[in-house]
Amino acid sequence: MNKVITINLDGTAYQLEEGGYDLLHTYLETAAARLQNNPDRDEILSDIERAIAEKFRALLGNNKTVVVTKEVTAVISEMGPIEGDPAQASESASAPPGGEERTAAAGGAPRRLYKIHEGAMVSGVCNGIAVYFNIDPTWVRLGFVLLTMLWGAGALAYIVMAIVVPSARSPEEKAAASGSPFTAQEFIRRAKQGYYDATKGFPDAQARREWQRQFKRDMRANAYHWQRHWYGFWAGGAAGHPGAGFTLPFLSLLQGAATILLLCVLISLLSTHTILGLALPPRFPVWAAALMVFFAYGILSAPLKLARRSCYWSFGHPNPAGGIVFLLDALIWIAVTGTLIWLAIHFFPDLREAVHTLPSVAHQAADDIRDWWKSSSR
Amino acid sequence: MDVNEKFSGMKKGLLEFLLLQIIAAEKVYVADILKQLSETEFATQEGTLYPLLSRIRREGLVDYEWKESGAGPPRKYYQLTDKGRDQLRETLKYWDRINGTVKKLGQNNTKPLS
Repeated sequence: MNKVITINLDGTAYQLEEGGYDLLHTYLETAAARLQNNPDRDEILSDIERAIAEKFRALLGNNKTVVVTKEVTAVISEMGPIEGDPAQASESASAPPGGEERTAAAGGAPRRLYKIHEGAMVSGVCNGIAVYFNIDPTWVRLGFVLLTMLWGAGALAYIVMAIVVPSARSPEEKAAASGSPFTAQEFIRRAKQGYYDATKGFPDAQARREWQRQFKRDMRANAYHWQRHWYGFWAGGAAGHPGAGFTLPFLSLLQGAATILLLCVLISLLSTHTILGLALPPRFPVWAAALMVFFAYGILSAPLKLARRSCYWSFGHPNPAGGIVFLLDALIWIAVTGTLIWLAIHFFPDLREAVHTLPSVAHQAADDIRDWWKSSSR
Repeated sequence: MDVNEKFSGMKKGLLEFLLLQIIAAEKVYVADILKQLSETEFATQEGTLYPLLSRIRREGLVDYEWKESGAGPPRKYYQLTDKGRDQLRETLKYWDRINGTVKKLGQNNTKPLS
């Protein structure tokens, strides 16, 4: 006695012995994986399903309603293995065998930048970029975080991209985003969850969407917990409820001082081509030094920033509205830095001098950069 | 090495050409194509044919329409587009040239082949 599984091929139900079902399932999965980068993948797969259905139909009759395993084997061998496109394969003939599929995608369909929501942390921008360049999304996220620390440019770029870059919704778009493992996974997931199997899976699209919503809710709750732990860690025990009040102004002052240091270094760099008296290596471009200074500032001030935010956090925002915290932080930071700069300009004549000459220095620097560019591009 | 094996790459390349030939003659569906090929040294399986057909369709060489069949669901019948016809004409010319070259170069051979 054998178990029978009902499947849906091309809109008609067929009954297969369990062994035959497994074989067919593997065959279709392999086919889907091989056609991963083919823009017509879905169409070819449905052609293949239709062809298989036709062969099954020829086998069945009034008194025969189940396709036995041996017959499935015969049908599959008659179909033959799904071949990647011969022409595309020859285009990538110079590539090593392993890389063939990916190169075939490059030759077949152009890659496009999409937001990818599966596994995204915020809106899928980083994910999309990572898939586009075929790298780990963590690096892309780190890159954005670093850029944000430096000038906030990362955050700005992120927001613009989140708005401008389209989302990959359809399977075609997901394939276009990468020629991508996501699509294969998606396909196998669909297959596993009963795409080919009429008896399993979500009862309808509504249930599937509900499941996705639940998944997103869970992920968001996770992210929130993580954030709280992180800030809690930076706040530390000492900066708990009573301590935070004292720590905060101190931290603000420290950061203000760091900003002023940054300005001083920049001014000295632009006006004398030294870092506070420290000479640059010969032929080292000023703009690169400036970049490095910004970078160092970003790294130095990041922990300060985090520590300050964690202070606000412990200030009796048990359930804080993040936006207000950050706004408050930015306002206090501007106020403290502004006051410090104002005081410094008032009490240190040298600095006042430097500020007055700043426009001409900037001019000079622009000229320098232009000269350097001309000389290096020649 | 078996001759068959040696020329498998060449045969693969020629398959597209033959496909255009077959489709040019009449509107066909995949089983017809397979049957016509099966009697030649270009015998092919669905697994190869579907991806190939979908590619030449994407290139705009062929087109298909759904037609009711006597028994069972409708089938895809393929036909050549104008572009496909042009390509076939050119390929045929090219094929003739190659054929000519192969024969002409052979004539310079003073020694007969075994």
